[in-house]
Amino acid sequence: MTVTVSATGLTLRYGGTRALDDVSLTLGTGVTGLLGPNGAGKTTLLRVLATAVPADRGSFTVLGHDPGSAAGRQELRRRLGYLPQNPGFHPDFSAFEFVDYVAILKEMTDRGARHREVRRVLEAVDLSDVRGRRMKRLSGGMRQRVALAAALVGDPGFLVLDEPTVGLDPEQRVRFRELIAQAGEGRTVLLSTHQTEDVAMLCQRVVVLAGGRVRFEGTPAELTARAAGRVWSSAERDPGARAGWRTGTGMFRNVGDPPEGADLLEPTLEDGYLLTLGDGEREAVA
Amino acid sequence: MSTTVKPPPDEVTRPPAPTRDRPWAAVLALARFEARELLLHVPVFVFLALYLAYSVYRLVVAEGDDRTDYPVLHDVDRGTQAAPQLVALAVLLCVNVAVLRSRRHGTERHFGVLPVRPWRRLLAHVLSVVPFAVLVALVVAAEFVWAAAKPGAVGRGSLAELAVGPLIVLLAGVFGVLLACLIRSAFAAPMFVVGLYVLFAMVAAASDGSAPHWLTWLSPVVPESGGHPLPSDLLGRPAAWHALYLAGLTVTLLGAALLVSGRRTRPVAVVTAVALAATAVGIAGQSPDGSPRLTRARTVASVTPEQQQTCTVRAGVTYCAFPEWSGRTADWAAVVDRVRHLAGDPKVQLTVRQRVEARYGIASQAAIAPLTGPGQVSVGTWWGGNRVPEFAVGVASVLVAGSEEEASGICDARAVTVLWLALAAQPDPAGAFARIRLDDSTVGPGLVLAPTEPVAVSAEETRMVRELLDRPREDVTAAVRAGWAELTSPKTSLTRVARLLGVREPKEEDDRACTS
Repeated sequence: MTVTVSATGLTLRYGGTRALDDVSLTLGTGVTGLLGPNGAGKTTLLRVLATAVPADRGSFTVLGHDPGSAAGRQELRRRLGYLPQNPGFHPDFSAFEFVDYVAILKEMTDRGARHREVRRVLEAVDLSDVRGRRMKRLSGGMRQRVALAAALVGDPGFLVLDEPTVGLDPEQRVRFRELIAQAGEGRTVLLSTHQTEDVAMLCQRVVVLAGGRVRFEGTPAELTARAAGRVWSSAERDPGARAGWRTGTGMFRNVGDPPEGADLLEPTLEDGYLLTLGDGEREAVA
Repeated sequence: MSTTVKPPPDEVTRPPAPTRDRPWAAVLALARFEARELLLHVPVFVFLALYLAYSVYRLVVAEGDDRTDYPVLHDVDRGTQAAPQLVALAVLLCVNVAVLRSRRHGTERHFGVLPVRPWRRLLAHVLSVVPFAVLVALVVAAEFVWAAAKPGAVGRGSLAELAVGPLIVLLAGVFGVLLACLIRSAFAAPMFVVGLYVLFAMVAAASDGSAPHWLTWLSPVVPESGGHPLPSDLLGRPAAWHALYLAGLTVTLLGAALLVSGRRTRPVAVVTAVALAATAVGIAGQSPDGSPRLTRARTVASVTPEQQQTCTVRAGVTYCAFPEWSGRTADWAAVVDRVRHLAGDPKVQLTVRQRVEARYGIASQAAIAPLTGPGQVSVGTWWGGNRVPEFAVGVASVLVAGSEEEASGICDARAVTVLWLALAAQPDPAGAFARIRLDDSTVGPGLVLAPTEPVAVSAEETRMVRELLDRPREDVTAAVRAGWAELTSPKTSLTRVARLLGVREPKEEDDRACTS
């Protein structure tokens, strides 16, 4: 893997809480999923990597640029595409104007080239037909795609997406997966999400964060493999299971340490994720 | 899980390095974008359209109006200052909203990590106002050049006065930006505008409509309009100091906005300090309320204008004008010649002297006292429109009565001769008669305006003048010339005047409302 993002010992406190606790990770080209329960520090990590907030300790580089210096931070920002959680929008701007505005803020100064680029990214997110429509007249899913277009404009080398599929209906989520998969071709994408299926379907790598610490870093297959032999089916919820729920077949799916002779099931990435978290963190997920 | 520190990447994808001028190019691109957005704000669009429409109206539609054919350029420059206040007000409110836009709509978190830094975005907002200031400057220049190109134009304009319109638009824009930095609420700017209006209203009320000079000049625009034009060296307006004050204040507020937005660098601090000093110098320069020298010069111009005037002789009549009006003596001479011709060129040595009353300031409309010397006729600094027949009344009055002082006491039948002489040679005598009467009519008793004292006419005299104006001019001219001695005598009755001029005799002798 060609390493494009490298973080070492990132620590950040909010008051008495360690939002990030000695986080080290490396990212390469392709989509990396960032999983974790609420309050795990996912958004904080993304904001640190996007240079929105500085870490109290630790360092990182993105595409060779160290944000520790003003010049390095500026160079990093020139290569960054950021889609924050619940991105705002300017209601009276058209979709085109909004992305154009972001393109200018990304220092794209040649008007002709910039407008071509804006049209390109709007086409990439399938919004060409509504590019002249005011943002306030777009649906939530369309606005989210405009925000993704704004993150993609300028062809950034490092794309940070903070829960981009929240609030989208299944069809829109599928469309978004396609877009993110395309975006991950040839660039580094860090995707924060609660949706394990998104990670399973999109990501070449996955990082699990909980309590401000990295609990897992590897491929989705490696995370799934953690649950091999630890998922079983039973008629009643197994009291020894760390987690268990009734499925559509009427049987319980249990995750944990199975009793002898248990009816083992094929593990999923979600099973591996649940087993990676501690008990308290699993409750947070549940 | 314990995390591992990976070795530095062996190979890193590096996009091409940006050029060094890119941040400034981005600021300009952003300024263009914001200027376009600003134009699309309803208040800016509407007020700008109103301003342009008003300017076009003044340039084109109002052509031929009273004073537009004979502009006084050092009044025209001042006249360009009031209207841009509308544009400035709209710009202040809308640029304030534009600066607050990211905060209001929650995009700051996103935009905060983009390469164009917040202070540069702020600068772009300030620059977005520049096109509007430039547009106002173009309109101001067009208005002035249009006026200056007219054959009847006199005087000279001041660049500092002309700069006020564009400067107040810039100042308002920068202030809107600073206000958004200081108070992050969209209500602040409207509240400020209302507060400012109330403050000025209170100051005006507290000082009985005439605020102290230094306080007046803190206002961005000090139009001082409505008075009779004065020679430019009697204006006493600290226009250059005021322009310095406005420019200094604009840069000071810009520096303050940058400092507040986090751009606390030495160059910004130095520029802000220098601009603040320039503002202070401008305030100090514009604060004194007239110098003794100016007061003396205004007194001389009002009481003994001959000390400042140059005279020329045309067809035996002497015309004395302030230097800036010397080109207008031909227009005066045309009127004098017409009136003298109708009167049969009486042997009266006429001197036409330009008069001003400058002692009460440039916004004063104080009346000019009649001249006492025989044959002396006053003429003001305005020309065109009603000023022409009014001047003709002044000339005729002196021809009939001998002097302005004598003429101011005309309260007898001589008024008929005076008015016919003044009006007969006008392109539209009846219309001119109505326009120079205070009541704008041609029936009943009334007062007829002249450069100094008005002439009182009775209803019967009005009727007789009307009848005379309806008759062939040659016939009346002959009658006037033949009866000149009696017609110019204060003892001649109105009945006798009617017989001499061949019009219907009055039923009653007199119902005039004499003022003296």
